[in-house]
Amino acid sequence: MIALGQQIENKFLTAVNKKSGNNILDCYQCGKCVSTCPVSSFMDFPPREIMQMIKLGLKDETYMANSMWFCLTCAACSGRCPREIDIPRVMESIRHLAIEENVNPDDPHVKNIRKFHEIFLDMVRRYGRNYELRMMAEFNIRTRNLFKDMHLAPKALLKGKIPIGHEKVKSAKAIQRMFKLAEKLENTK
Amino acid sequence: MTKLTYFPGCSAHGTSEEFDSTLKLVMKSLDVEMEELPDWNCCGATSAHVMTENLALALPLRNLVLAEKLDNKTMGIACASCYSRMKSTKVEMDNHPELAKKINSTIVEEGEYKGDVDVKSMLQFFYEDIGTETIAGKVTYPLKGLKIACYYGCLLTRPKNITQFDSPEYPMSMDNIVEALGATATPFDFKTECCGASFSISDTEIVLSLSGTILEMAKESGAHLIAVACPLCQSNLDMRQPDIAKKRGKKFDLPVLYITQLMALAFGYPLKDLKPSKHIIPIEQALSHIGEEIATPEVKKKPKKAVEAESEVE
Ligand code: SF4
Ligand code: SF4
Repeated sequence: MIALGQQIENKFLTAVNKKSGNNILDCYQCGKCVSTCPVSSFMDFPPREIMQMIKLGLKDETYMANSMWFCLTCAACSGRCPREIDIPRVMESIRHLAIEENVNPDDPHVKNIRKFHEIFLDMVRRYGRNYELRMMAEFNIRTRNLFKDMHLAPKALLKGKIPIGHEKVKSAKAIQRMFKLAEKLENTK
Repeated sequence: MTKLTYFPGCSAHGTSEEFDSTLKLVMKSLDVEMEELPDWNCCGATSAHVMTENLALALPLRNLVLAEKLDNKTMGIACASCYSRMKSTKVEMDNHPELAKKINSTIVEEGEYKGDVDVKSMLQFFYEDIGTETIAGKVTYPLKGLKIACYYGCLLTRPKNITQFDSPEYPMSMDNIVEALGATATPFDFKTECCGASFSISDTEIVLSLSGTILEMAKESGAHLIAVACPLCQSNLDMRQPDIAKKRGKKFDLPVLYITQLMALAFGYPLKDLKPSKHIIPIEQALSHIGEEIATPEVKKKPKKAVEAESEVE
């Protein structure tokens, strides 16, 4: 192999490759993923650019982007990627790396999305199952957006769309233990 | 009698109660005995894998382990999101025994994962285990005249290496089932586009935009209604439809029905069993097209299309 200039180890690329089980260097920037992705227009950098940023080792810029938070894991892109890169898996990996390194982008959308997932998981931790009305209410309270979706609430409630009262898994204790043990695993990697 | 373990998922006892209840009716007609997975837990949905690595596998794994305690070979999953989490976990566990062991260590009481229960979406179960012929044989009230856009969303057929079912780009399984019920499936290019899924609450604008395009294309295909097989798709397309209509300045009037509601109707259950009052967009007007003659060119085209479709899927 011909080395052009000085070779600097790209630690970020190695980390993402390892976590995602992909080789980002395979990406030849065709842009198919961008034209396929339903949310690329909402992203700071569409998937193709994220791939290039990882190749260039632009860790901070990647972590601060909202792209991986907008990824819906719909896998439309990876189905069409000629280099067979599992793009949603890469998105997931950089998201997890960013969480591990405690990077919090300032983007209000990202804040909302994170809050939503945190509340959701909290609900599962407590009850073993999710409870939709409570979920909506807690999200709106915690994001101080009390009246969001209020126009839907009475209609949905009337139509029995959203149940009142809620379900618990019998072995809620087992779930709570699972959360603790999984958290430990997360920290001992 | 076929037996099937049933994983309802959190929304079956909530927003998608009519999916759950019509599924039970349909299975009764098809002679399938469903055994609800005892003490199942939430699969973690999008949230677990957005935020964590291990929990995203542990939550579904507990359900898989519980399912292995029953005698049934297959677990049928109602919600597409639950299905996706459960199937990905299964594939991951089967391919990486080391990882399986590690994740299994977080599930203390339930036991070891063996990997001998198959995981299928209900759509896949209907298509592969029951078959369109058997389904057609149960029809007592053909849905002739009804034009239906079949919407699969992203997770029922993607990613291909996980789902191993139908086409990731242009699936036909639901279209074929709908035709077996006597209805006409419209050509619908947006059948696997994403509806915005879990952004329903956290980033509603995205859902309004993505689901809006899906509604536009379904309307353009000439459909009277949309058929779905996932509670999240249903609520995004139905509950958000008035907002989308307002935003786009047009009316869609496209009710969104679960495939099981349509099957129940065709199998002869009365309209009230479909729980029409659960729908934000009323379903009665669309269903009144049943019995109508479809304009001649379409009738001519239909058999050829159905044959092509069949061979494409196989
Ligand atoms: S489709 Fe694949 S190869 Fe093309 S730009 Fe996207 S990731 Fe790179
Ligand atoms: S998986 Fe993510 S990046 Fe790929 S098309 Fe879907 S939303 Fe876009």
